[in-house]
Formats: sequence, structure tokens, C-alpha cells
Amino acid sequence: MHRSFAPNRDFWPLLVASIASLIAVLVVAYREYTPEWHRQQEAFRRYLRTRGAFAAAAAVPDNVEQIWLPALDRVDRCISCHVNYDGSISTLPDLPPLYRPHPDLPYMAKHPFPTFGCTSCHGGQGYATDEAGAHGLVKHWDDPLLTTALAAQYGLARAQLMEIKCNTCHRPDDTTPGMDLINMGKEIFAKKRCVSCHGLEGGGGLGSSDLTYDGDNNPELLPFSAVEGEKTALNWQIQHFESPQKIVERSGMPNYRLNEEQAKALSLLMLSWRRISFPPQYVPAARKRPPAIQPVVREVPAPPPATGAPAEQGRYVFENRGCNTCHRVGGGPLIGPDLAGVTQRRDERWLATWLKDPAAVVAKDEKLQTWTHEFGDIIMPDQNLNDEEIKALIAYMRQFPG
Amino acid sequence: MRTRLTRLWRWLTWTWSPASEREASTAIVENLWLHWFPAKVDEESFGWRYSFWLGAISAFLFLILTVTGILLMFFYVPSTDKAYWSIKDIDCVVGFGWLLRNQHRWAAHLMVLVVFLHMLRVFFTGAYRAQRAVNWLVGLVLLLLTLLLSFTGYLLPWDQLAFWAVTVGTNIAKEVPVFGESIRFVLLGGTEIGQSALVRFYVLHVVVLPAAVLVLFAYHMWRVRRDGGLAVTDPAAAPLPVASQTPPVEGKTYSLFGVTPGTSLETRAARPQGDGVAAASSPHLLRRLILVFLAVFTVTIILSLISGAPLEEAANPSLTPNPAKAPWYFLWLQELLAVTTIRYKQLTISGGLVGGILIPGVLLVAAAAWPFLDRTPLSTIGRWFPRERRAQNAVFALIAIAIAVLVLIGVLMRGPYWQLYWPWQAWPELPRRL
Repeated sequence: MHRSFAPNRDFWPLLVASIASLIAVLVVAYREYTPEWHRQQEAFRRYLRTRGAFAAAAAVPDNVEQIWLPALDRVDRCISCHVNYDGSISTLPDLPPLYRPHPDLPYMAKHPFPTFGCTSCHGGQGYATDEAGAHGLVKHWDDPLLTTALAAQYGLARAQLMEIKCNTCHRPDDTTPGMDLINMGKEIFAKKRCVSCHGLEGGGGLGSSDLTYDGDNNPELLPFSAVEGEKTALNWQIQHFESPQKIVERSGMPNYRLNEEQAKALSLLMLSWRRISFPPQYVPAARKRPPAIQPVVREVPAPPPATGAPAEQGRYVFENRGCNTCHRVGGGPLIGPDLAGVTQRRDERWLATWLKDPAAVVAKDEKLQTWTHEFGDIIMPDQNLNDEEIKALIAYMRQFPG
Repeated sequence: MRTRLTRLWRWLTWTWSPASEREASTAIVENLWLHWFPAKVDEESFGWRYSFWLGAISAFLFLILTVTGILLMFFYVPSTDKAYWSIKDIDCVVGFGWLLRNQHRWAAHLMVLVVFLHMLRVFFTGAYRAQRAVNWLVGLVLLLLTLLLSFTGYLLPWDQLAFWAVTVGTNIAKEVPVFGESIRFVLLGGTEIGQSALVRFYVLHVVVLPAAVLVLFAYHMWRVRRDGGLAVTDPAAAPLPVASQTPPVEGKTYSLFGVTPGTSLETRAARPQGDGVAAASSPHLLRRLILVFLAVFTVTIILSLISGAPLEEAANPSLTPNPAKAPWYFLWLQELLAVTTIRYKQLTISGGLVGGILIPGVLLVAAAAWPFLDRTPLSTIGRWFPRERRAQNAVFALIAIAIAVLVLIGVLMRGPYWQLYWPWQAWPELPRRL
């Protein structure tokens, strides 16, 4: 009597939708219950059984395994696949790499797994539970696993690249055993007086960028147009150290004619300087060299050595107080003008005032301002020279006629 | 034996076919969950090609979002220190956490899209006219709530994508004349996006906005019945001539009016055309709703399997990603903003006011006022693209297409440094650390 829907009008669509949703749910379940780490653990168990190590096979977990590092606000799940990382499951010889225990290197005693985990030294994404994610070879993870292949891209050994990680905590050291390349970098950094121009940890010069957290700088803001090879901050650093003016046009940074190794050493040092906080118990007692060279900037200057003629003392000041970073005597201008004949061009009393406070002199002298412009508006930094040092410097300069 | 098997099969498949119309109606009225459906629904309302069931789809998406959202709340920590890492844990080690998050994300994107399409459908079929104007306004508010829900949820992962999308979004809010700064301040709980902004967004996202949606959704549904069902049944819904009014039939679910001659609003709304073309809600409407739900559920799962919800680096206020984009449904505003920004030598007049506030504001006011300005004949209600409404449908379609095109440009073609690239063109590789 009443026209209605045929009762089974939606039968086929309903059947299709039901089956489709059932399949979807099954696929979800399959994906959930067959994670990569589960397969790896299975494979390890099978491998151990084939080698007859049944007790060891039974000890292989069937879980996500992790090292929880509450102090570092981190969790390292690397050991879900690298289950035998501490050799507690099997110590059989010639295990395949994935199952091999971590080598017992000299510094392992001071860096135990429960305190440092894996990613503190190796990089990678501790949170992830799949290989690509854990090795950090994914988008949006800027701390990839430091592999041999990655190191080789920069002509480095893996251990050398990993020094970046060591220096996270060992930053205050002058030298740290095992960190040869960064040790070299630190030595060059001190010798070349980079802090004459660059700011560092609240001190240093004001002439150029602050390097305290140089490793955190956004790579996108670096000029890459002249950089060869891949666009990475490390590549930029290396090539910039080798030839600053090639990478940054009209760069005020002197070319120190560093060789490749030295450039890499400094580059690794720069990349290691990041804003990473960790609790005080992770800060190692700093290995400081006895201060052979006095820190110069914003400090009370050390008097020049008493020995020697004033000119000899002046040479010491010139070479050790950062003057030669920007000036040459003969051979043309560098960052600042060539100083040959400067005592003939300028009144010695004027030179003394100048050395005392360059900025004040420039502020009063318009002609000097125009001239400074030729040197990229870099006003000579006040080096805190005392009267004796200034006298000595002028005496030294007298030896070079124009 | 055979009857036993049949009975077993019946028991297993739990089929139910009402023996009488009364049983069918009672089944609806007596059930807490079903009683807000009419006992009977016109056949025309069932059609796929009239409504595309977009309202039902968005309701089911909201259901999926509620369920996955509540489960996610057990694992998510709304703190700037922990939020990002709790999401990492949800993705990596929480049981089915990846599914919850992916499904929540996909359902959210789809809901924005489907609610928008639902609005288009209602406009093109003229279903916002006369008594339905109120529901049109409620729908507009629901659309805004949907956008706000999605936007507040966007910040919660506390990654670069979240942080900067919300930075762009709240900077647009700043362009509101006079009150802009205050709006942004109240929204963020400060002048910068930090802990207070995260908590505000969280509470809005999990309590305030869903509650508002729920209340308005209930009202929206009730209004649909009150206004006479779907507009497609309107031609038949004209008041019945007095002569054809029949005395009440015993056993029918009329209202109080059932005891006196005449029909009530309820009976007309429930089945304007009489018994002839109406079907019992149970099981017919119910079955179709199950079908729609299964389809929506399956689609969200398949999408979740194909593509995961993004999680970029942890939020870093000192490092702007390149390019920094608003959530996709606001990208048309960001495009307008970029286009209306005027640069003359050193002078830059931000397009924030024009592109970010005035244009969407005018569109919104126009949409709200339109039911009261529309003068086309009421006989066009409930039909797709009637000739009489050609002009306004064309204007509306153009606006919708423009929004869609701008969104697509924003999503697919804006590359690093806000440069335009063809979708098939590779973006330049951005420098990395190592």
C-alpha cells in the first residue's frame, strides 16, 4: 500500500563499505603489530638460534627498548634494534654490525650508556622507532646520525665529525683527549685572536659577529652563491675559512691562509657552538692550559716584556695584540691601511691619541671619516693599550719608512 | 533444522524489520539516540545528488574528531617544554598513536572542506531562504567555529609548522582596526606566542569550541526539522488545503494536535506528502547513515595510512621556516594580504587590513545578510542551479572558485622566499646544517 524504499536498496554499497572498512582496519592492525624493531628483534633471535646460542636468543627482548635520560630531557630508542648495544645479550665474535656491542673505547668508562644514551654522541632521533626516522635521515630533523658516509662527504673520518658532539659538553676545555681536530681549531682560534673582532661568551670584540652560538645560525641566511658542493653550513664554514672573500664579497675577515685541515678544524668548532642546555653534572671539569697568552680584550693589558729595546717591545705588541690581524707593514692594505711610513705621514703625538681611543678621534675628524669609508666603515677597535705599549709601537713603526 | 539455521542466521546478523509502521515509528521515538530523527523521511531527502549528505559527513567527521581527540588528550601535554615531545611519543610508541593523530588531522582537514562544500550546496539550492535564514546564520557560525577549531588545534604540536602558522594567523588578527592589538593579546595571553598562548589554544580546542559546536549542531539539526526538513521537499510542503485535511488516525505519532482535526507543524514537517513517498527512518535513514559513516571512517583511515600528519622541528621562535605559511584554509587570506600589500620605494603599506580583515569581513557580512536581500521567487528553493537564480549563483561560484584558486596557489605554488613555482617545478634546495 505505501511506496517505500526497497528494503535492500543500499545492500551493495553497504557491503562494499563494510568490506573496505574491515580491510582498512586490518591494514592498520598489520602496520601496528609489525613495526621495524619487532622484525629486527625477530631476525636477531633467529640469527642467534642458527649459531646455537639459545639462551642468548631467549634474552632478546620483544619490546620497544629505550634509554630514558630525564636529565637530558630525551629518550633513546636506538636500542630497540641495536638490542645488543652493551653486549649483555651475546658476546659471540663476528656478529653482524647491527648486533655488535659498542666497542669498549677508552672514554666509554666516563660516558656510560645510562647517563649519555646514544644520541648525545652519535646524533640521530632518539624518539623514533623506525630506521629512517631514528637515523634522522628524514625531513625536519636537523641532527642526523653522524655516519661514516656523512663524514666522508666532508673528507672527514666519522670520529672527527663526531667531535662536534663531544664539544657540546667539552666546550670549556682547551684540549680534550681524542678531540684532535677541534683541539686544533681551539688552538688556531686562540692564536689568531679571533676574539679581537668577534664576540664570544659575553666578551670579545665588537667588530664582527658574535660566535657564542654560531652553530645555531640559520643556514638559510648564509650566502651560498660561491660555495661549491652541497649547501650545508659545514661546507660554507670550511670554504669560508679557506677564503673568506671568495664566499662573502668584501668580507672584513682576513684570509689566514689556512690549510684544508685547519679550516675543517675551525669549522667543526663553529658548528659545535650551540645553545644546548644540560644539567651541571654533565659539565666536565675544564682542562685549561696555563695561560701562555694573556687574554687581551676588555682585560687589563699585560705589560710588554721588560727586555729588549722599545722597538723590539713594539714588535711584540704588534704581533700579539691583534694589530697584524688587520694591518701590514709594506705589501699594501689589508683590512686596515698599510702602516709602512705611518710615523712620517702622521705626527707621533697624534698617533698616540689615535691608539688610545680611535673612535673618539674619528668622531671629531671628518676627513678621517671619509677615509674610514674606504675601509668598509670599520673603525679600528680600541685595543686597551697602555702608554708604554703605545710608545713601543710607535718606536717599532719608526723603523719602517714609507 | 532449516528454520533453526534461519533463526541462527537472524540472530547472528541481528536483522530487524518492523512489522508495522507503528513499530517503525516507535523504534525512533523510544530511542534516546534516534528520537531526534523524524519517524519518517521523504524519499527525496535521501537522494545522493541533492544534498551529497555533506551535513551528515561533517557530523561524522566531528564524531571521529571527538573520539580520536579524547584519546589523544590522554597522551598530549599542553606545555611548551613537553608538547612537541609528547607528539613524538604519540607518533612513535603510543599504541595506535600514529593512527589517532593522522586520523584526527585528516578528519580536521576534511571537516573544514566538507563544511565549506555544505555551505556551497545550501547556497546553490537556495536552501537558506524564508524560515531557513536562521539556520543559514547558525551554519555560518558553525563554519567559523570549525575554522577556529582547526586553527587552535594547529598550534598544539608546538612544532615549526604550528608556531609559524599561528604567528601568521594571529598577525592577520592584529590588523583589525582599533581592537587588533587587544584581540591578539587576548588570544595569545601576551604579546608573544608562548606557554599562555598554548594553554589558551588548548582549552579553546578541547572544551570551549567543541562545546559550542555541539550546542549549535543540535540547534542546527532541530532547526532542519522545524523548518520543514530538507529544502528539496519544499514544493510538496505547502500547507495542505483544508479540504484535504484528514481526521487523525489512531496509532500515529501526532502531537497533541492529533486529538483535534487538522494537521500540526510537526506532521507536515515529518512527511509533507503523506505516507506515499516517505520511508520509515528506521531502518532506512539509519542504514544510510551507517553507510555514510562507514565511508567517512574508511576514507579517513586510508588517508591516514597513505600520508601521516606532519611534524616539523620543535618550535623555534628565532628561526623562521621558509616559506612560513598560514594553515591552508587561511592561505587565500595570506595571498590576498600579499597581493594587497603596496610597496612604494621605502614605504610599505601592509595589506593586512584590506586582505586580512576587510575582504573576509565584507564576504561574511554579505553572506549573513543575503537571505534577507534575496528577492528571487521562493519556488526556486530546493533546486540546483535554477534559471532565476543564475546571476547570484554565478557571483557566489566565482567567489568560491577564487578562494579555492588562491588556496591552491598558496599550498602548491608558494615556495621559499614566497616565490611562485609551478607545481611541477622543483623548489630550490634550502641549505642544511650538515
